[in-house]
Amino acid sequence: MIQSTEFDIDTEKGNFRFDTDYAFDAGVGLNADVVRYISNVKEEKEWILDFRLKALETFLKKPLPTHWATEDLKNINFDVIRYYLAKGQKPSRSWDDVPDDVKNTFERLGIPEQERKFLAGVEAQFDSEAAYSNMKEGLEKEGVIFVSPTEGLRDHPEIFKKWFGKVIPTSDNKFSALNSAVFSGGSFIYIPPGVKLKQPLQAYFRINAENFGQFERTLIIADEGSEVTYMEGCTAPKFETSTLHSAVVELVALKGSKVQYITVQNWSNNVYNLVTKRAMAEEEAEVRWIDCNIGSRLTMKYPGVILRGRKARGEVLSIALSNSGQHQDTGAKMVHAADETTSNIIAKSISIGTGRSSYRGLVRMPKHLKNCKNNTECDALLINSESQTDTYPAITVQGEGNSVQHEATVSKVSADQIFYMQQRGLSEGEAMSLCVNGFVNDLIREFPMEYSVELKRLIDMEMEGSVG
Amino acid sequence: MQTLQDPSSESLFGTDQFFSDFAGDHSWEPGWLADHRSEAWEKFIKHKNSGFKDENWRFSPKHLFNLDNTLRLSSSKDLVQLSALKSNKALFQNLDKMILDSPDILSNITEHVGPNLGAIQTYHLTTALADNGFYLSTPKGAEISEPFIVEHRTPEHERITFERNIIHLAPFSSAMVIEFINSDDTTSQGSVSSTLNITLEEGAKLVRVLVQNANTSSTLHQFENFSLGKNSSLRNVTIHTGSSQCRSETKGDMTDKGAFFENFSLFLGSGNQLFDQRTRQVHSASDCTSNLLSKNALNDQSKSIFSGLIKVEEVASNTNAYQTNRNLLLCSEAEADSLPGLEILANEVKCSHGATTSKIEEQELFYLLSRGIPQRSAEKLISLGFLEEVIEKVNNQDLIEKIRAMIETKFYS
Repeated sequence: MIQSTEFDIDTEKGNFRFDTDYAFDAGVGLNADVVRYISNVKEEKEWILDFRLKALETFLKKPLPTHWATEDLKNINFDVIRYYLAKGQKPSRSWDDVPDDVKNTFERLGIPEQERKFLAGVEAQFDSEAAYSNMKEGLEKEGVIFVSPTEGLRDHPEIFKKWFGKVIPTSDNKFSALNSAVFSGGSFIYIPPGVKLKQPLQAYFRINAENFGQFERTLIIADEGSEVTYMEGCTAPKFETSTLHSAVVELVALKGSKVQYITVQNWSNNVYNLVTKRAMAEEEAEVRWIDCNIGSRLTMKYPGVILRGRKARGEVLSIALSNSGQHQDTGAKMVHAADETTSNIIAKSISIGTGRSSYRGLVRMPKHLKNCKNNTECDALLINSESQTDTYPAITVQGEGNSVQHEATVSKVSADQIFYMQQRGLSEGEAMSLCVNGFVNDLIREFPMEYSVELKRLIDMEMEGSVG
Repeated sequence: MQTLQDPSSESLFGTDQFFSDFAGDHSWEPGWLADHRSEAWEKFIKHKNSGFKDENWRFSPKHLFNLDNTLRLSSSKDLVQLSALKSNKALFQNLDKMILDSPDILSNITEHVGPNLGAIQTYHLTTALADNGFYLSTPKGAEISEPFIVEHRTPEHERITFERNIIHLAPFSSAMVIEFINSDDTTSQGSVSSTLNITLEEGAKLVRVLVQNANTSSTLHQFENFSLGKNSSLRNVTIHTGSSQCRSETKGDMTDKGAFFENFSLFLGSGNQLFDQRTRQVHSASDCTSNLLSKNALNDQSKSIFSGLIKVEEVASNTNAYQTNRNLLLCSEAEADSLPGLEILANEVKCSHGATTSKIEEQELFYLLSRGIPQRSAEKLISLGFLEEVIEKVNNQDLIEKIRAMIETKFYS
């Protein structure tokens, strides 16, 4: 058990902000000129500009999906958002090159210098441009490419152009179209055949300008037999007006490769976090999404795997915690498209105060397939009487020897458990925290060590003041 | 109704001319009923082209349920037949006779609403045009053991009939209603669109069984809306083997403390049959329990859709709500869609749902094969066992035997 009192928790986390001078600013609102401006600043090739402009058209054409999603989407005012801001600097290669004020921000964020050195390669995103990027020489030697989308499409088109926008087409949904029009920042990664990275690649995303949506674009290609783990963690400063975050993440797992993508999302609770994440798994490849949503006002995120090759495996492990004023609308999609593919979804949600957690799932097995399997488990925990939870899975099964099982339970922390622990000297709050940590414990264990510690701390923090 | 028998009639189904002709034919009815019909008609017109991207229609080939302009109303008068009333305690009568003889008893049907789970348009149309169905009400405290039996028949080829069925149990009374839906022949494409409103007052107990074996050319729309009062209990068992396509919407609303709602259904599909089932368990009061089991066994290219939602309102503490959907795929072309949902706004709840879809277990099959039972018989045996869980919920031995025989016949054909 982790005693919350032993840690010095900065409850004002996310309250930091420094004035930053922006060399490039696309202004407020969205139109074709803004898209041209972004493309021009990034010195992009003609085809990328065309791609962006077409995406803009799609975005404007598509309605908000409020026929199934929450009406809260209507509160996003697309006209007051800045779609591009960047410091006029090239991504820095060494720590010394990073400007002092940026370093200062990281200091306040509490990323220790030592940990930074320890990390395999840090792609720290400060606003929409990579402010700091340090890649271990070893990575380069092995032929791993770890760059920003701009660099990726400019320097390695032969690798990235083929898959860019292929796993998630522009027209997939309104927000993937928006991202395709204005994307900047993110990571493009290529792992050569047979290369197995022992340490995870990491990216820190930061938002640091009022009303500034962040539209990062990530594409990871794991070539045959390679292995990679990618981690992203998010914190954002607290702002008074709503902020939009709309990312697109595409994973390509070629034959026999293994890709693991870990997210800890802790945006401040005025952020709309509308993210499209999807992977494509070829023969015997394994893709695993580990997704933890704690922050934001509204998160809509359903990581998916298209199991395209025989014996491919997809997995989604998801934890959602919604406190008052938050709606975590998360889930998973598993599209089986080859024989003997398997998938596993485990989703746990906790609703505190007036918070609302929703699970939306999709599992599809068409009729020409044989011996596919899916297992889905959704468990929801309700802490207060005003908390809400929903479950909306959609399962379609045809074919020979395919099997699907789905199970969901909803429960509250029992008074017996709390009483038992109070008898042993724990306060009601501590007892509740312990129960909640126990509820998600088997999932948290799947996270890398430093993340699981951080997560338990975050959960303890969120639980503060929820009882009594 | 009679004037519409003329096939040259220009008043196409669904047009205003059609409805004014219909109203003209029913001018003898009381004014409140005429108003009620025309209100429903207006709602039908209003909803005519709405709800295209409705979640309530997800996975459903909606066009199969569209009411064609070439449809005409059935001219048969006796599509709903009731068993003789043995008990003089209850009122059990055909709806058309009720409208003729004692319309005042019906006057509160204007307050009835539908389950509202997607097919709103057809529901309003049914309310506007129904002149068939049955009405059952029991007096306070009456315990009637003899089941009330209703036989519905599908109409003639390319005809449709609209029914309104009403069950009202007074406080502390109990009854059992058994309904059958059959067809006179195997090829007529007849349609039945019916509503069933059940109101259970305090402490009332009802068992309702539906055995649906319409011919495989017919189309069925069913709108079932149940209101359960304090400490009342309802067991609803539906057995579906027939019809080409059946859209079934069932809502059970537990409106007061201690209500108990059970909803069991089975569908045995073959050929191109479609069973599109939408259910809702609504907990609007505390201390209520609901349990749902939906089992579908699918042969050939048949398809089932189960979309169920448990809704627990904020006030509904101490709720127990369960929902289970099991699908057995007997053929690789068959399709099972499952949308089990939960919306929980209270926290003193025990709530779960489960959905599984699979083929017959290899081990079970092997066990039977190794005992000399041929493959086909073994598969049949396992499927019957699978469906038995629902069949045994019918607490009437004679009827259970009848259902088993019906299901076996379907397996052999």
